[in-house]
Amino acid sequence: MSARHVHAVMAAGLANPHLIERWQQEPTLLREYGLSPADIDLPALWKFAGLAVKVRHNGLRGDLPWTFRLLNVLGLEADIFASYGSFLAKTGTSLGNSSEARAHDLCAFLEGWLDGENPGHCLLWDLIRHELALMQLCKTSTPDPFLQTLAPLDQGSPCAATVPRICGTIVLHAMRCDPQTVIAALRHVSPPLHTLPREPVHLCYWRQASTSDIQILHVDELGFYLLSCSDGSVSAADLSRRLVGGRRVAPNLLNGLAQLREAGILSFHNKAKKTAR
Amino acid sequence: MKYLSTPAGTTRIGLAYGPGIPEFVEAHPGLVDYIEIPFEQLRHSPLLRSLQESVPLVLHCASMSVAGFVPPADATIDAIALEAERMRTPWIGEHLAFVAADPLALPGVAPGSPTTLTYTVCPQLSEETVQQVVDNVALLQSRCTTPLILENPPQYFTVPGSTMTMVDFVNAVLSRCQVGLLLDLSHFLIAMLNTGADAHQEVTRLPLERVREIHISGLNTQSGIAWDDHATPAPAPVFELLELVLAHSRPLALTMEYNWSPNFPASILHAHITRVRHLLGTA
Ligand SMILES: [Fe+2]
Repeated sequence: MSARHVHAVMAAGLANPHLIERWQQEPTLLREYGLSPADIDLPALWKFAGLAVKVRHNGLRGDLPWTFRLLNVLGLEADIFASYGSFLAKTGTSLGNSSEARAHDLCAFLEGWLDGENPGHCLLWDLIRHELALMQLCKTSTPDPFLQTLAPLDQGSPCAATVPRICGTIVLHAMRCDPQTVIAALRHVSPPLHTLPREPVHLCYWRQASTSDIQILHVDELGFYLLSCSDGSVSAADLSRRLVGGRRVAPNLLNGLAQLREAGILSFHNKAKKTAR
Repeated sequence: MKYLSTPAGTTRIGLAYGPGIPEFVEAHPGLVDYIEIPFEQLRHSPLLRSLQESVPLVLHCASMSVAGFVPPADATIDAIALEAERMRTPWIGEHLAFVAADPLALPGVAPGSPTTLTYTVCPQLSEETVQQVVDNVALLQSRCTTPLILENPPQYFTVPGSTMTMVDFVNAVLSRCQVGLLLDLSHFLIAMLNTGADAHQEVTRLPLERVREIHISGLNTQSGIAWDDHATPAPAPVFELLELVLAHSRPLALTMEYNWSPNFPASILHAHITRVRHLLGTA
């Protein structure tokens, strides 16, 4: 078997890992090049292609250190990056130019690839979203100073006409397990992942308009809902109607809004006043 | 500019270029003798040459496709030779592997352009490849005055048509080429693990007197295969191999390849450098 020809077949597969998958599924395609699947360890060749994809994501290790650590601990690096390499080749997608773009694309791929029934996959999905949220907020440019001067206009108690708005920038994630607990476990040489409490948490990653600090707030389901809807255009009455129906604003919703404003994450505006202006 | 001298009987200790490495070197004066830097990185970011104002550089390369059948462009060889002269690197470390291959074409179909990869691949371990390496090295040596040393590749699976073990392949190449050996102990261990060979027994079959430089890095086993991993520290078996090799030879340089992650702990870098210096008897 000529070395020159073998190198050509291997290089073609490594340059296009999707081709290796097709050779596995349809051996005749490989036989056309004078090799049979018995001659070459196609799964290993495919994973080697994945190693190269992984190396091209080394630039993300600074922002996603625990995601990479977990990938390693779970033994998923080879499978994930080989699958990702195939996906990129199949769809003709090239890797993004910036870390942010590569992180975003990898996460988008994982959303489809990970299995929601697999506990390890769930940990990974929580952790990558956690680190991406921090990465995203760290790299958020300072908000428009004009927007900062708008808040707070209305310091009274929230009422039906109150329009809550986020102060600064937030990212919201519902997690099956607290990522900070996962990170604590990953600091061990042999991380005790199986003993982690699987308690769902709702997290709000918050960067205030005036500082570069990022806070991670644990919120309840109502707070999560309120924050996810507080885009500066929806009133408390609308929020209540969407949540429980009826014309009367639910008192616990007003309570929740008041608490979030107290924490500094929301500011209130008055729909009626706005219209009058 | 700083240049590396490599007197016989002394082993210089260096780090492979990566995120955080220049900062580490600067923060620990006298701890690291050189930074090993890939030609490809310098070609892409020529400003990195300024590193040599504070620390000597050694040139590494992954573009020569020494074990391949598609030669690099003349301009690439010229650029490597020029970079080596400018840097005054004691040698150019190149992989005993290929990065480019013929295009894959069906019978009767006109071939396209060669397939070029961004990383090196372990070749078929055979007499045909050995002869090709001999021819390639002769050509490269005629165009480049800086000495060449060849690095054993990691072997993840048996390349079809292979008729030799990794050690037999390296031995065959070195017996027919005037080049030194860049012994990557992690690559070596990976090849031994993945082919079921005894690393301790096999390493002593290498021409250890030809070792000019040693590489160490981490490795990681996934899906039943040991993989190269420059984001994790070299494990105990790599240090065991190092001790074995040092009992037989005194390389001129030893490079730690911990260059994939900016989070690689500085404490481990420091500890490994100290450990290696101790093994070399220069602690
Ligand atoms: Fe190496």
